[in-house]
Amino acid sequence: MVGGAGFFYRLARRSESEFFLAGRRLPWWLPAASVFSTHTATDTPIWVTGTVYQHGLRGLWYTFFAAWTSVASFVSARIYRRSVAFTQAEWQVVRFHGMGAELLRGWMAGWQVFMNMFILGWVGIAMGRVTELAFGWPVWVGLVIPSVITAFYTLAAGYWGVVMGDFLQGIVAIFAILLVSAVGIVAAGGPHAVVAGVGNLGQGWRLNSLAFTGWFTGDFPMAWWLTMLVIAIVGGFGMGTSIDWYVEAQRIQSAKTVRDAAYGIWWGGAITLLRNGIWAASILAFFVMAPHITNGAESELGWYRMGLELLPAGLVGMFFAAILAIHFSTISSHMNLGALYFTRDLYQRYWNPEASQKTLVWVGRIATAVLLVGSFFYGLMMQEITQWLIFALWLMMAGIWLPNILQVVWWRFNAWGYLASWIANLGIAWLVVWVLPEFHVIPVLPDYLQFWSLMALGVLIFVPATFLTKAEPMDHLIHFYLQTRPLGWWGPVKAEARRRGLLRDERATRSADPRPFIRRTWTAEEADGWSREDWIAIVLSPISMALAMVGAANLFLLQASAIWELTLAVLAAIAVFWVIDPKLKAVSVEYENQQASYLTRLEERMRWRPDTIPEGGAD
Amino acid sequence: MERGLVTLIGMSIAYVASFIGLGLAWYGWKRRHRDDGGGSSESRGAGS
Repeated sequence: MVGGAGFFYRLARRSESEFFLAGRRLPWWLPAASVFSTHTATDTPIWVTGTVYQHGLRGLWYTFFAAWTSVASFVSARIYRRSVAFTQAEWQVVRFHGMGAELLRGWMAGWQVFMNMFILGWVGIAMGRVTELAFGWPVWVGLVIPSVITAFYTLAAGYWGVVMGDFLQGIVAIFAILLVSAVGIVAAGGPHAVVAGVGNLGQGWRLNSLAFTGWFTGDFPMAWWLTMLVIAIVGGFGMGTSIDWYVEAQRIQSAKTVRDAAYGIWWGGAITLLRNGIWAASILAFFVMAPHITNGAESELGWYRMGLELLPAGLVGMFFAAILAIHFSTISSHMNLGALYFTRDLYQRYWNPEASQKTLVWVGRIATAVLLVGSFFYGLMMQEITQWLIFALWLMMAGIWLPNILQVVWWRFNAWGYLASWIANLGIAWLVVWVLPEFHVIPVLPDYLQFWSLMALGVLIFVPATFLTKAEPMDHLIHFYLQTRPLGWWGPVKAEARRRGLLRDERATRSADPRPFIRRTWTAEEADGWSREDWIAIVLSPISMALAMVGAANLFLLQASAIWELTLAVLAAIAVFWVIDPKLKAVSVEYENQQASYLTRLEERMRWRPDTIPEGGAD
Repeated sequence: MERGLVTLIGMSIAYVASFIGLGLAWYGWKRRHRDDGGGSSESRGAGS
C-alpha cells in the first residue's frame, strides 16, 4: 500500500478535487469496493457477532440499515451526484441559501470533523482489542501502529490511495470472511450439525430470521423490526439518514457519472449485506461450539476466535493480514473524509477562500495527521466516552431522520427549519431519554418508541420553524431543481421554471404513441424526470437485498429456503438493472455535458463571487 | 451511570463540535458581508 502510494502521489497532489475525490472519474466498481471495505472495519465482526450471538438470524435485521443504499442508489445518490457538492456540508449551500445555509454548513462540517476523529479512535481501539487477543500486545500498540502505517499512504496519495487500497483490501477481506466462516462451520460439524446443534440446545428460533417475540413485547417485537425497515428503506430517499451516508457521499462524488455513482453505492451495500449473511451462519456455528457465554465482551470476539484458533499456522498469518486490510481500509477512509470537511468546508470556505490548490492539498495532509493524533487521545483516554457516543449516534440519527429526507423531497423545507431540527434534537433527546423517565413522568421507552417519539417531537419544532421563516428564494430553488432534479413535492418550483421557459412541460412533449409498460429508450430530457421505471427499481431493490442477506446465511447452513431466497434475490436484481439502466445512461450523458458549468459555479460561489452562470446551467 | 444518561452526555459532546463549526460559519459570513458590503451572490440570491 505504502509503495503503491508513490504511484498515486503525482495524481493526488494536483488539486483538491484529485486529493479528495480522485478527480471525479472513477468507474462504479471502485466506489463499490470502497463502500464495502470502509464498512468492513475491525469492530464490524465484533458487533455483528455480538448481535447474532444474542438474537440468532433475526439479528441480521439490526445490520439491515445498510439497505438504505438500495433506495438511495436510485434516488438520493443520483440527486447528490448532480449537485457536485464535495461534502454533505457543501450540499447545504447548494440546496439552501443565505446565512441559514452557511450556518448549516459550518454545523455539519464541525460535526463531521469531530465524528471522523471519533470513529478513528473507536475503530482503532477495536484493533487494539484484536491484537491483544491474538498476540497479547498492549491495546495501544494495536491502536497506534497500524493507523500510522495507513497514514503514510493516505497522506501521500489522498483519496486515490484510499480507494485503490480499498479495492485490494476488499478482495483480501472477502477471501478471509469466506474462509474463516467456512472453517468455523466445518469445525462445528458442518452445516447440518450446526442446524441440529441449535435445535438440540432448544434454541431452534435462532434459525428463523423472522422469530418475533410479539407485536410490541419481548426483545424482538415486530414493531421494532418494522421500524428498522422503515429507517433503512424510507431513509434512502434522504441524505444523512444513516451515519454511513457521509462516507458514501464522498464515493458518490468520486464516480465518473451519475450511473457509476448509483451502481457504486448499490453494489457496495449489496456486498455488505451478503457479508452479514455469511457471518451470521458462521456465528451460529460458534454458538453451537460455545453456547453458554454470558459475557457480551467475550461472545463478541467469537468470529475472531474462530479465525485465530481454528485456522492452521500458515493461514493464521493470512488471517491477520486480512484483519490489517480491513482496518487499513476503514482508517484511511475516515482520515481522508475528516480532512475533506476541515479543508473544504472550514478552512477554505471561512478562512482562506482564495487558497491555491497546492495550499489546499497541504492543508488536507496536515488535517489528516492532526485527526489521526487526535484519535489516539480519544481511543486511549476516553474509551468510556467512546461507548457513550456509539449510542448517541443512534439517538442523533433518530431525531433528524425525517428532516434529512425533507431536505431532498420538499421544496418548502428551508435552512432554518433544518437547523432548528438539529439543535432541538439535543433538548428533545434529553427529555425523552433521561429527564422525563428519571422523574417518572414517562417510563423508559423501548428503542422503537424512542425513535418515533423523537421524530414526532421534532416535527413540533421544525415545521413551525419552517413556516415562520421565508422559503428559500425562488431563483435559488430553480437553479437547484434544474441541476439536481429532486424527487418529491417541487410543484411550485417546477411551475415557475416552466413559466420562465427553463423547463418543458412533460405533458406537452409526451408522444401520442402508447407508452410501453417498461420503457427502454429515453431522451436525456425525459430521463431527467421520475417515472414508473424509477419506482419499480425503488421497490424491487430492497427486496432483492433483504432476500440476498437472509439467503446467504441459509446457503451456508444448507437450508432449502436458500434456493428460492437467492433465486428471487437475483431475479429482482436483474429486473432492477434491466429497468433502470437505459434511464441512468441517458441521465449520465446529458448530465456530463452540464457538469463543467456546475463545477465552475460551485467554485465561484466557494470564493464568495457573484454567479456568472445563467439560470438553468450552461444552456 | 445508566445507559440513557451516558448516551446523552456523549451526544452533547458531539454537539459541541457542531456549535464550534456553526460559530466559525457565523464569523465567516459576517466578515465577508462586512468586507463587501453585502454584494456577494449569497446576499443577493444566486442567479439573480
